[in-house]
Amino acid sequence: MIFIAILIGCIVGVLVGVNAPMISYTYSSYLAIAIIAALDSVFGGITSVINKNFDLKIFVTGFFGNAILAILLTILGQKLNVDIYLAAIVVFVGRMFVNFAIIRRYYVDKWSNMVKKHEKKVSKIEE
Amino acid sequence: MNKKIISIVLGIMCFTLTLGICIQVRTVKNSNSTVSQNYEENNLRAEVLKYKEKYENKYRELEKAQEQLEQERQNSTQNNESLEKKEEEIKQGNKMIGLSEVTGPGVIVTLSDSKQEASSVLNPSSLLVHDADVLSVINELKNAGAEAISINGQRLVPTSSISCGGNIIDINGEKVGAPFEIKAIGLPEQLSALSRQGGYLEILKNASIGAELKKSNNITIPKYTGIISYQYAQTVE
Repeated sequence: MIFIAILIGCIVGVLVGVNAPMISYTYSSYLAIAIIAALDSVFGGITSVINKNFDLKIFVTGFFGNAILAILLTILGQKLNVDIYLAAIVVFVGRMFVNFAIIRRYYVDKWSNMVKKHEKKVSKIEE
Repeated sequence: MNKKIISIVLGIMCFTLTLGICIQVRTVKNSNSTVSQNYEENNLRAEVLKYKEKYENKYRELEKAQEQLEQERQNSTQNNESLEKKEEEIKQGNKMIGLSEVTGPGVIVTLSDSKQEASSVLNPSSLLVHDADVLSVINELKNAGAEAISINGQRLVPTSSISCGGNIIDINGEKVGAPFEIKAIGLPEQLSALSRQGGYLEILKNASIGAELKKSNNITIPKYTGIISYQYAQTVE
């Protein structure tokens, strides 16, 4: 059910995105930073599922809140002539790497445990 | 019930994320990125430099050939009085029309763009040296008896033209940019009258354009590198 919803969402998003009108180049930097923030939220969500403390409300508010905050910070930075979006990129991408490391460890551990179990079974059978 | 809400929310989130990514990718693809533009510019610049080098090599060959010609001519006219006279005449003529390098006393006039900021005046164009300014200075130099004139190494010959070419000026069809160093050979005392009160240099200075006149006893003016061809003007017998 959930996977079907995700799949449908992705397909519809691509279809609409390909046919949607283009935004002007000035606004594309805002959209880019929003995408980075949203991707960070996605990685954060996967990590929280692994840690078994996933909360849909926190996930959704983080997804949209981070994106909007990043856009606002970028606008503020342009008004103040400071590249605040660099800070946002550093934070979000840094967190993405940390979250990815957690996800990676979890699945590598799982996989190596499986391999060990399989080896034990094989050795038992051989005995 | 709970699962339904979760799946709907996740679906919406995936939709917004992919939508944003698609729009962004298309926007970036569509707007010519500055990187590729720079790349093209660099290629063009490299090509120009290559051709310039080729041109300079050819020019050096030409100079060598001309030197050889001169040598041959001297050898063949050495022991013949009338030929030697003719040779002298040719040399004199070349000097007059600018086909030989000349040296002597004179002045160096340097015209440079104003150092004022363009935003500080109503018309930024008035801060630049224009082709008309150069022409006026040349005219005054000729009026003061200049015998040979060059601008940034471009020798002025009877067929020379000075015209505006955007942010540079065209002299003899070659592009010349500011600051303009105008060298003129003649009586320095006469030529230096250019900086008199009410003269053109004074006008330029009042417009905050850099106009300097320097006397010198040893000025070398290069020869004209192009070809002077007379096709239509015929000598009247």
